[in-house]
Amino acid sequence: MAPEPSLQRSRAWYARLLRLYPTQFRERFGEGMEQTFADSCRRRRTAGMGLFGFVIWVFAETFTAIIREHVTRLRTNAMRDDIRFLKTVKYAATAVGVLLVAGILTLMVLARGRTGDDGDIAGVVAPALLLTCVSGVVAVVAAVRQKRAQRRLLHP
Amino acid sequence: MVKNVQAPLTPAVLHILLALATEVRHGYGIMKQVESDSQGKVRMGPGTLYGSLGRMLEAGLIREREKRVDPELDDERRIYYGISALGRTTLAAELQRYRDVLAVARRSAHARSGFVHGT
Repeated sequence: MAPEPSLQRSRAWYARLLRLYPTQFRERFGEGMEQTFADSCRRRRTAGMGLFGFVIWVFAETFTAIIREHVTRLRTNAMRDDIRFLKTVKYAATAVGVLLVAGILTLMVLARGRTGDDGDIAGVVAPALLLTCVSGVVAVVAAVRQKRAQRRLLHP
Repeated sequence: MVKNVQAPLTPAVLHILLALATEVRHGYGIMKQVESDSQGKVRMGPGTLYGSLGRMLEAGLIREREKRVDPELDDERRIYYGISALGRTTLAAELQRYRDVLAVARRSAHARSGFVHGT
């Protein structure tokens, strides 16, 4: 049995409204939402209930959901960017720290057995050690903040 | 991927989990069941329903099942949704949380009435 024209029209308008959803969401749930809307309208018609008020309510409800979905998507994307940045900082700081430690060890090995100005590496090692500590702190802070951001992403 | 779910659940998620606890349902079936479970007090539109379904799928609380025709409706094929093991555990934990809250409320009401009678 073909659905009545007013139901078909409402469904067509609802399908147009669904185009405002983010593409990924629409591709996944658009068809189901359209079917659910059509089923609800059909049931109200069968039960002899009015359609106009219901259609207005569903359109308003869906429009609110569309805005919510876009906001969520924007927030999620921003958080993903943050996580990516913090990950880069963490790895870069770790790499700098490892290189500095390797450099300090090399210097210590080369300076072994030397005396006088040749053997005095404190002027180089001290700032290098300080930089290593700073790198370590930066790496730890970035790792902690990355973990927090990931947790927030999972539980908004 | 299964992710942890934080309690408390939103009313929409709780109602959807309750609706799917007994059998797999499509979107309209879930809406109807939620309405009937709440005696018409909870009215969920497609926007709220599918937004929640999306988040629940991502959290691993429910799973998409087969796409098939519902003989009670028309010949369109619909996606069915079913509760997962994590969904059942989460629902049980949430219901236990409600029981605990209720027990606290009862104890508090009992203590208050005892205090009133005692004075």
